[in-house]
Amino acid sequence: MSEGAATLRVEGVTKRFGDFTAVDDLSFEVRPGRVFGFLGPNGAGKTTTIRMIVGITKPDEGKIEYDFPRDEGRHRPSDEGRGTRDEGLEFVSQDYHPAAEAAALVTHNSSLTPASSLVPRPSSLISDRIGYLPEERGLYKKMKIVDQLRYFAALKDVPRSVADERIDRWLARMKLSEWKNTKTTDLSKGMQQKIQFVATVLHDPDLLILDEPFSGLDPVNVEFMIDVLAEFRQEHKTVIFSTHLMETAERLCNDILLINKAKKVVSGSLRQVKEAYGKNLIALRAIGGDAVLKDASLVKQVVEHADEREIELADGADAQLLLRRLVDSGAEITKFEKVEPTLNDIFISAVEEVPRSDMVI
Amino acid sequence: MRKFWAVVRHEYRKIVLKWTFLIGTLLFPVLGLGFAVVPALIFSLKGDPTRLVVVDPTGKVLPRLKDNLSAERFEEKARRAAEEQIGDLNATQEEKMKRGADQLASGFVFVNYNAADKSPDTVRSDLNGMAMRDEIDAYLLIPDGIDAKDAKFEFRSRKAGDFVVSQTLEEALNEAVRSQRLADAHINEGQLKDLSRNVELDSKAINEKGEEKDSGSLFVASLVIGMMIYITLTIYGQVILGAVVEEKETRIAEILFSSARPFQLLAGKLVGVCLAGLTQLGIWVGSLLALFAFLSTQADMSGLVSSVPHITPLMVIYFFLFFLTGYFIYASIFAVIGSMVTTVQEGGQFAFPPIMIMLVGFYLCFAVIRDPNSDLSFWVSISPFFAPMTMPVRILAETPPFWQIALAVAINGLAIAGLIWLAARVYRVGMLMYGKRATVPEVLKWITQA
Repeated sequence: MSEGAATLRVEGVTKRFGDFTAVDDLSFEVRPGRVFGFLGPNGAGKTTTIRMIVGITKPDEGKIEYDFPRDEGRHRPSDEGRGTRDEGLEFVSQDYHPAAEAAALVTHNSSLTPASSLVPRPSSLISDRIGYLPEERGLYKKMKIVDQLRYFAALKDVPRSVADERIDRWLARMKLSEWKNTKTTDLSKGMQQKIQFVATVLHDPDLLILDEPFSGLDPVNVEFMIDVLAEFRQEHKTVIFSTHLMETAERLCNDILLINKAKKVVSGSLRQVKEAYGKNLIALRAIGGDAVLKDASLVKQVVEHADEREIELADGADAQLLLRRLVDSGAEITKFEKVEPTLNDIFISAVEEVPRSDMVI
Repeated sequence: MRKFWAVVRHEYRKIVLKWTFLIGTLLFPVLGLGFAVVPALIFSLKGDPTRLVVVDPTGKVLPRLKDNLSAERFEEKARRAAEEQIGDLNATQEEKMKRGADQLASGFVFVNYNAADKSPDTVRSDLNGMAMRDEIDAYLLIPDGIDAKDAKFEFRSRKAGDFVVSQTLEEALNEAVRSQRLADAHINEGQLKDLSRNVELDSKAINEKGEEKDSGSLFVASLVIGMMIYITLTIYGQVILGAVVEEKETRIAEILFSSARPFQLLAGKLVGVCLAGLTQLGIWVGSLLALFAFLSTQADMSGLVSSVPHITPLMVIYFFLFFLTGYFIYASIFAVIGSMVTTVQEGGQFAFPPIMIMLVGFYLCFAVIRDPNSDLSFWVSISPFFAPMTMPVRILAETPPFWQIALAVAINGLAIAGLIWLAARVYRVGMLMYGKRATVPEVLKWITQA
């Protein structure tokens, strides 16, 4: 699979509720095989955006495009071909941009198909390729776990036998096999949480969207879920998840999108975002070299801490040059570290700041 | 379509595989039977026999009274009362009570008391004393001259509230005194009875083809049909309401909406619950037919069976057809309510108006049974909301011309189309609105927008 093709492309999407603009001209891309962190404070427009991506609501403006690998035999054990569906692609014309009246934007990626194979045909709905775990989630209270899971799988058009096999496998993984025939009300909240996750992945989605997936889980289960997500990434599936837990996001995400007040604040790979938000700070512990630190072309400011100094580089100054100069000056350096802001710092400063519209990375 | 059927299957199984469905299916016939039998059964719980002293200076009334209160006479009376009760459900409450009393027949024990040569006051105080010592329950003082216009019969009972006892006694006494008076006037009692017996009014309705129908059993059958439709509509309307609210309350709606189109979900839900309702109705109608088939093989019951109005297969088809129209009308209303409210309790409050409309429809059935060809019957049996209950009753009472049935189906079909269109719009938006109940202006906005 080519790295360039984005699984999901959101372009200029706007959603209004009456006079309130929940999402304002939002654009971003999510690439396959990446974990995409969708961050923002409460009320920033995350859930509204996610709902548009999963097709629950339609954007007022803008377009959302999907690009999934062909799903030939996705739910079939082997050589059995898929029959023609009685329903075509549902989201094909999810293009609400007034200017763009172009033809269908959503197709399955035909370029990935070997030349010998048939012309790609839309064989399943976009919604069947997405697994969505909403933030506000629930299960049928008085229904057996296995019946609920079968129902959710059926709604994603998974054949019954395949669904049954996957239910058994996932329940075993979640160590919930013995609860298969129990009703929801007899399960603890954490168990219900895991069942909900199973419901999200039963149809083997290519794009997994998890809204606050870790809330209500104990640390052991959080670790377990992180492992599962890592697996998805290895299978080259795409994961979008939104969370308030910046530490988790920092651990898991390859890419970040931070929105605030309906607008994008920053997006890009975790590394890029961190660098963009870094203030060129260096933590230094050294004996000597004081003369170098007084060079205004290199150093803007020095803040003395208990056992180290925090150096703010002058605009345009290079940290490597500073290090070389310090070494040349004969200073004995025990610590020279470029200080990176944590995601938490970025989050807080971004939310407090005016959006940096010019910060395209 | 596969997703639609998945929803149908899900909703159907959710209802039919529950214990409550089985119990409800069995309970309705049992309850129906209960309403007919239990009151009679309770009335027939006999109390202890009443210990009675009769002071009869004439010596002529007491033997007749004893005869009238004998066990054989009681049995005969009870049997006659039971027969009348089956034939005539139109009876007033008073008549019913009286019949109940007749069937009741708790006996009397005559206690001997020698009143000879005692003054009336002594007798009274004696008897009052016996009653207080719980030796007797009641006493009856018969005056000397029973023919006198101001002749006063005194009945005193410790069980004054037991209207059954006093009524039974009064009747028996009346009869005894009357026959004694007749005997005194040398009139042959048997002859008089023959001459003064009631006429038997054979009441049957005739339809346009001049065929006769038994009006009594027609009433019962119409009532049963009207009731069956009313009850199933109420039950399954509430089921829809509950199912919609559950998915909204538990936020399952969000997952569902990300998997299937809202209309698929709504339609699947309506159809799935509908099939469950049809299953239940089918069981009821089927077992009713089976019961009649069985009864008609029993010789002594064939009279009862032949009194049942003739039900053609076409009528059964109409019955189910109008159940379906009623179901889709009310179910879509309940779906709208379910997507507006936030909890089941709130839904219960809002369910009141449609249930009232259904109830009015049910009561209109009585007007239709009385006069199936009146203007009122015509209009209510073609109007939306009421037709599902009143038209089947009218068809049974006196089948209207086909165009009227077709008109009713067409009008209600249009109503269904409109309501489902409305429900789909409200459902789509309402199911994702959490936290607060939607106001009517909001709902109107959802309908007009999008």
